[in-house]
Amino acid sequence: MSLHLENVNKSFKSAKVLQDISLSVESGATLVLFGPSGAGKTVLLRLIAGVIEPDGGEIWVNGVNMDGVEPEDRGIGMAFQNFALFPHMDAAANIAAPLTARRQSKAVMSATVATVAKLLKIDHVLHHKPKELSNGQKQRTALARALAGAPSVLLLDDPLRNVDAKLRFEMRLELPRLLKDQNATVIYVTQDYKEAMALGRQIAIMNHHGIQQVGTPEDIYLRPANIEIAQLFGDPVINLLDVVPERGPEGVVVHLSDCPVQMIGHAAMIGQDCTLGVRPESLQFVAEGTAGAIPVEVETETPLNEKTVTLATTFRGREIMVSRPAGTDGPSSGKAWLRVDAAAALLFDRATGLRLEPAPRQESVT
Amino acid sequence: MTEPMLRLEAVDKFYGPIDRCVHAVQNIDMSVQKGEIVALLGSSGCGKTSTLRMIAGFEEVSRGKIMLAGREVQGLPPVKRNVAMAFEGYSLYPTVTVRDNIAFALKVARLPQSEVDARVGHVSQMLEITGILDRFPFSISGGQQQRTSLARALVRDADLHLLDEPMGQLEPQLRALLRSRIKHYIKERGLTAILVTHDQTEANALADRIAVMEGGILQQYASPSQIKDRPANLFTGTFVGEPPMNVFPARVSTRDGQLRFDLEGGLDLTYAVADFAPDVRAQMLARRDVMIGVRPYAVHRAATGAAARVTANQWLGDQSHIAASFAGKSIVLVEHDRAAVVEGQDIAVAIHPADLHVFDPASGQAISHGHVLA
Repeated sequence: MSLHLENVNKSFKSAKVLQDISLSVESGATLVLFGPSGAGKTVLLRLIAGVIEPDGGEIWVNGVNMDGVEPEDRGIGMAFQNFALFPHMDAAANIAAPLTARRQSKAVMSATVATVAKLLKIDHVLHHKPKELSNGQKQRTALARALAGAPSVLLLDDPLRNVDAKLRFEMRLELPRLLKDQNATVIYVTQDYKEAMALGRQIAIMNHHGIQQVGTPEDIYLRPANIEIAQLFGDPVINLLDVVPERGPEGVVVHLSDCPVQMIGHAAMIGQDCTLGVRPESLQFVAEGTAGAIPVEVETETPLNEKTVTLATTFRGREIMVSRPAGTDGPSSGKAWLRVDAAAALLFDRATGLRLEPAPRQESVT
Repeated sequence: MTEPMLRLEAVDKFYGPIDRCVHAVQNIDMSVQKGEIVALLGSSGCGKTSTLRMIAGFEEVSRGKIMLAGREVQGLPPVKRNVAMAFEGYSLYPTVTVRDNIAFALKVARLPQSEVDARVGHVSQMLEITGILDRFPFSISGGQQQRTSLARALVRDADLHLLDEPMGQLEPQLRALLRSRIKHYIKERGLTAILVTHDQTEANALADRIAVMEGGILQQYASPSQIKDRPANLFTGTFVGEPPMNVFPARVSTRDGQLRFDLEGGLDLTYAVADFAPDVRAQMLARRDVMIGVRPYAVHRAATGAAARVTANQWLGDQSHIAASFAGKSIVLVEHDRAAVVEGQDIAVAIHPADLHVFDPASGQAISHGHVLA
């Protein structure tokens, strides 16, 4: 079942919550809807589910306009953040609820419940009531219930949010297969960029009530549409430095702490106010005297999962975060030199925040 | 050796009636040196918060002794302990501005106004709250409230700074930068700090030493790199580290100069006997059945090795996380470059003997790390 939204709008009183949302998800595909809290992600899911009505625009499920179609007739399964489990029923009965409604045989029901419960690692708590479950278990019970109904469209609102770190990591690795086996068309909402990159071949970035970019994880991480998106993906956050591109002997350069850094392309931006975006992993500590190296003072070194993160300051007092694989050599204090990987550097228009494509016109700069 | 800033001696905490009480903290001994940052790390209910509250004076010590700056403090009320705190429930003064919240203790201590201004300026710049100094607590976000509470604690001179889940509410984009800055600030000012957290990433980033707690018991108290390289038991091994350590049951045997770990599914990892010290071999062979652990970054794809089939390859921008079915379970590999493997692909994985952690399956205690005894 494909899912298609066209110019969907929604306001609550005078506050615009969703503005001209258009999105398409192919049948059987998973679209990750990523955005900071308050971006309107949950409202969008509720509109698709039919729990609330849009002010304008159209929602199509498998070629059928959903205008006027009741939520229960849309063939959509949901797992929302607030669980919404039946408090008087145990986990097994909660998971079986969509099957009971369809009057399936007891044997089929218990087999389905057992399968999804095992996948989600809650088979040991199937006879517990919701109040006896941890938040993570409640959330997985809600997810299991959504999966058990085998809906053709599945809406998942941050289903791993309350799950502890270890289990969240395991689920992140297993969920794509699980969703593929369901053969459902999925919209998966998350605020965790790693989850977004891990789960979605397609990620839609929602911010300021609109869709700002739709693309693959590579598109979003390597070619973010704007500064805000660049900041939402990556840990530590991307370094942003105000620069004004200049004409150099071999094309365009920007100056960081008075050191020229060779850019690739961007001749059109000479003399304009720009922001240079450099991801922490695109900076490298090099030996003193290396061409294009910027002198810095190393302030602190902190481990971050399998990386080592260094906070350094330029002599102009600008902070720069650098990361490298854990266990590799690097300075932990004192003076050091950094080189920017120009091929991975991003340039943004400071006024609009939009990323600038590096038009490869170096030769024409004379 | 100088007297530590803080020393816990055989500290216990019981809750509830004597006949069916909960033993929340069990016989904890630990000390914190002046200038050190220590993290109390564990999941909810592990006893870390009870420990912190006893140090702060919000919770009575059931048994044992707490020495702070050379004084026995378990009988003293919180205000007499010279401890600065940023607690989750220890809220901001609602009727005064963010600036006055931060400056409060400094004014009580009658510091000159110029000194107060300089300190408040410095700490609020570090925590990115200079723009909200004249606002009131109710009008700022949760993340900003948390940073204000941190600033209010860190601005003070105190024998000890206690920080309870200091970054839980913070905007994810700010976390890595603020961790680095806070660590730098604490070190530069020579403060002694204890933070409580359930987030092993935060503990690793900030702390000189981590006290890992579970079930009221101190499981291990060591530096982040020691915990990573020499986890005391299966709990610390799998709790600290992201992605978590891979763990498999194995049967050990030796034959023809080789030491062999047989895993489920007919797989084996085979090494030269000389890769393990004689006492390590003796310990392993005495048990026969062991648990082996290997961290995800120490699992390598190789031309030859144990067979695995890729079930997921997730690129996170600066790392690839690969999962593969292996020995009846799943094994996780981390690569720092973008890995070109696809789901369903057969790979061979190699684990260097130096990266192998061996645990007793019954007690969970570590037997060996690499070729030496634990």
